[in-house]
Amino acid sequence: MFRAGSGGCVVSDTIGCLDHAFSRPAIRFENVTKTFGSYTAIRGVSLDVREGAFVSVVGPSGCGKSTLLNLAAGLISSSEGSVSVFGERLSGLNRHAAYMFQQEGLLPWKTVLENVTLGLTFRGVKPQEAEATGREWIHRVGLDDFSSAFPAQLSGGMRKRAAMAQSWIVDSGILLMDEPFSALDVHTRLRMESILLELWTAAPRTVLFVTHDLEEALALADEVVVLSAGPASHVVSRYSIDLPRPRDLIDIRTEPRFVELYREIWASLKQEVLKSYARTE
Amino acid sequence: MVLWQALLGAAILGAWQFLADRGTLDKFFFSRPSDIVLRMAQWIRTGSIWPHLLVTLEEALLAFVIGGIAGIVFGFGLARVPWLGALLDPYIKTLNALPRVVLAPIFLLWFGLGIWSKVVLGVTVVFFVVFFNTHQGIREVDPVVVNNARMLGASEWNLIRHVFVPSALTWVFSSLHVSIGFAMIAVVVGEYLGASRGVGYLISQAEGVFDTTGVFAGITILSAVVLLVGWGVDRLERWLLRWKAY
Repeated sequence: MFRAGSGGCVVSDTIGCLDHAFSRPAIRFENVTKTFGSYTAIRGVSLDVREGAFVSVVGPSGCGKSTLLNLAAGLISSSEGSVSVFGERLSGLNRHAAYMFQQEGLLPWKTVLENVTLGLTFRGVKPQEAEATGREWIHRVGLDDFSSAFPAQLSGGMRKRAAMAQSWIVDSGILLMDEPFSALDVHTRLRMESILLELWTAAPRTVLFVTHDLEEALALADEVVVLSAGPASHVVSRYSIDLPRPRDLIDIRTEPRFVELYREIWASLKQEVLKSYARTE
Repeated sequence: MVLWQALLGAAILGAWQFLADRGTLDKFFFSRPSDIVLRMAQWIRTGSIWPHLLVTLEEALLAFVIGGIAGIVFGFGLARVPWLGALLDPYIKTLNALPRVVLAPIFLLWFGLGIWSKVVLGVTVVFFVVFFNTHQGIREVDPVVVNNARMLGASEWNLIRHVFVPSALTWVFSSLHVSIGFAMIAVVVGEYLGASRGVGYLISQAEGVFDTTGVFAGITILSAVVLLVGWGVDRLERWLLRWKAY
């Protein structure tokens, strides 16, 4: 899989990134508008997600971040404009994407192992093979002792680990993540982010990661996209994150370059957050 | 606590026995605990109770299985094909509102005095319990779980097999108590109204000759069996829903 080095291109450039000449985008939103009845969630969003890149989308609450992911997943279709995946216009479910939801969708009546291997089961992989692969992924997310536990027996963090293994085990090119760690406490969250980065480094995929937390977005991503306050939100600005990898998430938040980028992006995001306050009050 | 519970039972039975011995309670109408125990011992010793008990259990089991399967199939179909659900909705509600006991004479005419009139009566009761629970189980499936499974590549059949059926079964299992209890009630009522065998028949026969002791003995045996079945169902349910119990 082709993967451009981080910081190698200026994504905020309106003409686009040089890489596009020889790497088609994994996901391309072209002038996408989505309305629900009389409510316009997003309007005129154009966004390319480079193959192999980790892209974070930030924006105030209710700015249509999840709508963007659901469009990329093919769970909903656009009202205007189009979504393409690896150069093909998307209609129906996106078969190249795995999706990690905000609230993990583990089946309560299946054990951790059965849940993790669900995607393989659906693809008709032989049970023994699926189990072997499943155990490997369970090991990678550190759930070895809990492979035969049921979700109800696990803590919130452990359920996230299981959900992460579940969505990563399927070898899909794209991973969509909808505020997956927002319900966790700060320390568990940091741990999950580290595991996520480890997985991503070991097997790079295109990640579209939605969050309302700029720190998280910045620490993880190659690129941060800021959405405007809803309704009818659109892309306000895009930032290339040139922090070196591998990143140490424990210390990165105090590094000068991190702080500098944070200030820069927050200046843009702040405007939108203030707008969203004004609209809800 | 168990000690106190046992003492309470003993006190009630003792009072009953004492009052019946003294003649305050008419033995003809109220019988006596000692007589009832003797009667049950006699039934068990001669083995005359077993064929009746077996028939009742067989009827209840058949009613439960047939009603359960029909309930799951219909509940599933009507939840997954909304227009069919909408079409049949008023009829199902009307049928469910009907006191099932009034159907017993009709079923007796249609299916005769054998076991099937009782089984059908039981089915009409069990069916609705299972039907509504299956329906609920399918509607209660978290959309996130469904979307998650679809994104993982689940086909329609995968969704039914791994998501919808287990969810519906959860509800059906947790209503096992109610449906098995209802099945027992329905078949005993059926037997009581017209049969040639069964515990209900035994009770109605005893009543016919003013044999209060026989009536009480039949009732006692029936409650003991229902308690036993309930205990078994409890264990089964705990095992089937073991993933929930944490």
